[in-house]
Amino acid sequence: MLHSYFMKIHFNYRYWRCRNLLLNDYYKALEPLLELSIEKAPLLALDLEMTGLDAKKDQIISIGLIPITNGEIKLNKGQHKLLKITGSVGQSATIHGVLDKDLQQALPLNEAILWLLKEAKGHILVAHHAPLDLSFIEQALMQQTTQKCRLFAIDTMRIEHKRLAHRQQIIKEGDLRLGSCRSRYNLPNYEAHNALVDALSCAELLLAQLSRMGGAGNVKVSELIC
Amino acid sequence: MDITELQPITNFIKTLPPFDQLSDPMISHCCQSLSIVYYSKNERFVHVDNNEPQLYIVRSGAFEVTTENGELIDRISDGQYFGFSGMLSGEKVVNKVHILEDGLIYQLPLNSFNHLRASSQIFDRFFNQAFAKRIRNQGDITSNKINTGRISSLISEKMVSIDGASTIQQAAVLMSAKRVSSLIVIDNKHIAGIITDRDLRDRILAKGLSSETIIKTVMTNNPITVSKDALIFEAMLLMSEKNIHHLPIVANNQPISMLTSTDIMRNQSSQPLLLIGQIGRQKSIEKLVIVSQQLPALLQNLITSEAKAQEIGRILTLVTDALTKRLLFIGEQQLGKAPMQFCWLAFGSQARQDQAAGADQDNALLLEHTTDTSSELYFKKLAEVVCDGLNQCGFPYCPGNIMATNPKWRCSLQQWKAQFSQWISAPQPQALLNSTIFFDMRPIYGEVSLFSQLQNKILQQTKNNDIFLAALTRNATQQIAPLGFFKNFVIERDGSEVKGIDLKHKGLALINDIARIYALANGIPAVNSKQRLTALIGTHGINTEDIHNLMDAAEFIAHKRLINQSSQYEQGVPLSNYLLPDSLSSLARHHLKEAFKVINDSQTGIKLKFLRQF
Repeated sequence: MLHSYFMKIHFNYRYWRCRNLLLNDYYKALEPLLELSIEKAPLLALDLEMTGLDAKKDQIISIGLIPITNGEIKLNKGQHKLLKITGSVGQSATIHGVLDKDLQQALPLNEAILWLLKEAKGHILVAHHAPLDLSFIEQALMQQTTQKCRLFAIDTMRIEHKRLAHRQQIIKEGDLRLGSCRSRYNLPNYEAHNALVDALSCAELLLAQLSRMGGAGNVKVSELIC
Repeated sequence: MDITELQPITNFIKTLPPFDQLSDPMISHCCQSLSIVYYSKNERFVHVDNNEPQLYIVRSGAFEVTTENGELIDRISDGQYFGFSGMLSGEKVVNKVHILEDGLIYQLPLNSFNHLRASSQIFDRFFNQAFAKRIRNQGDITSNKINTGRISSLISEKMVSIDGASTIQQAAVLMSAKRVSSLIVIDNKHIAGIITDRDLRDRILAKGLSSETIIKTVMTNNPITVSKDALIFEAMLLMSEKNIHHLPIVANNQPISMLTSTDIMRNQSSQPLLLIGQIGRQKSIEKLVIVSQQLPALLQNLITSEAKAQEIGRILTLVTDALTKRLLFIGEQQLGKAPMQFCWLAFGSQARQDQAAGADQDNALLLEHTTDTSSELYFKKLAEVVCDGLNQCGFPYCPGNIMATNPKWRCSLQQWKAQFSQWISAPQPQALLNSTIFFDMRPIYGEVSLFSQLQNKILQQTKNNDIFLAALTRNATQQIAPLGFFKNFVIERDGSEVKGIDLKHKGLALINDIARIYALANGIPAVNSKQRLTALIGTHGINTEDIHNLMDAAEFIAHKRLINQSSQYEQGVPLSNYLLPDSLSSLARHHLKEAFKVINDSQTGIKLKFLRQF
């Protein structure tokens, strides 16, 4: 209850402070979702592929989005965008399989972020290790609006961490990786990795986690978002 | 969205029949329309919406389809489907889908399903057949043991045929020369008819016709034939429908051989009988060794014909018994008549009649009274003939030296009784652990009354013997079934190498232990675990449901072990009892977990009853 109250205050604060219209709209649409059960709330799973892990230095290569509605993931609603970057994708190409030549029809960063904000409006973002992905988006937004902002999401990694800690299990290195988390729920191992596949993997993981919590109908958005 | 970006999904769908027959654009169209849902055991049932029928493609997890009344129709696991019946019949879905294991499902909506059916005949036929099979299976999923062998595998002998213009006399001569009961009558290279033993009796002798009668006039014209590519099952069906016993086999309209009901009978059940018959006819150890080389092939055959693990164990044991008996017979021929009465005993798996491939021998001699030098030498030689012979036939020596060749296990009834009394009255845990094998004991050859006297004595002493039973129970509960606290498999490792789940020592052996303890506690003479459990029904201390659960668990684990060993045999790797859980489908995984849980529960049961421990 208290958490949800603070979140609301926080959103209002962000809303009043924020001069960017799009961001403004995003915050405004977020507030009424807080009290909904996860089942009813429109969710949007997100994954970014980056050239590295530092939001200040590294760049976003691609963004994958896929919505979850009423506990269902519709594959045709998935979206995948490649971003223009300066320099070469370098080493990370071996991880994401995104090659320099693929990036030719890519979007510039500012366009991609506007597109992302528009898609995310009225949705709760879901990501695995959300702080990392959000930090890149926040960084990009700051460049555009010259204003610091903070985004919110449901973090499947945090949920898993809490769950394991609650069962007093020793958490070993690698236990919280997306693939390891999924295997605990009998979810298949998806071989290929791109932002969209990872967003889908994360969405499926959330569905599985929710069912272990006793179903998406019993959990409120405000209990999971951070 | 470009579906190629969701490759893991399209790659999975592409491998599934009948989707594997579809073109890439069709696959891509189909994947576009999928939606993904996670189902958890907590929800118990998949809620099927009648207004929005869909094809449920199981990506992971295990499900069971039952009728409204709970009759099992189908079990479904990775890469299988449900929900198609309603879409094909257009009727309201009344079947229930139970969730056995959490899992992920890809759902294909009705319009896409119909689109695929309309564009691909193969796709349409696949689901229609699945639907038809489903209806046939209704409530009868276990009876699908149709023999899938083909007739061509039964053709052994060359065709015996005769020209239609020959006389009955000639036919009879040919039949008796070739030792067959029927002939194919040929006219112009084509099959004109058949004539059988019975025809000679009914149509010739009984009617008083002369032996010079021409075959053509009395034969069965245009007989029903069967193609060499037909299933054996189809031939059986034809024979029973038409009430006939002979079917000419044809290939390209040419007769190639005759199939008789005896051929089919032999194929269906008598392979092991044949082998046992052969064993009983051999007169030398060398010949026995040659005959027993058929054993691996026999085992492989039994496994592929989906015989029950329990039956396979029995059959293998019957073969071992036959070999042992024959070796003893040969030994007696060589050494002369035994100086006193004796009984050859088998222990362990041979005694329990659940032998597996590569089982080693455990045996002993029970003698009428103590031996002197000459009789001692006689039994030593006899034991050597048998144990060496068994070793050559593929049953290696016992590593623990529990064999009749060991003077320690070649003793008189009195000595055996004393030995057992010592184990029973002063049970030392370690000594008892090594001697549990002796409590599974069966007479194979010789004077059975010696064995009965010994067994009666043992059962008298074990029945309701709290101290002894507690010691047995303590030993039997040192190993537990490999299930972790959260019901996950506990996998054995050897350094970094994953060995898998030990189905024998952490599974079947535990069930045998439990059955043995209850049997000894209740004075039940049976030795086979299933027979012990069956005999326990209605006794105090264990309820009937637990007994049935244990029997099912034993059958399931034993079956998994056989299949595992059969695939090891095919891959040419050494046979072991270790199963890698990754090789299991979700459904098999679920059943295996359930089976292990039954064992753990029963262990808790014996602890409570015999150790007073909670």
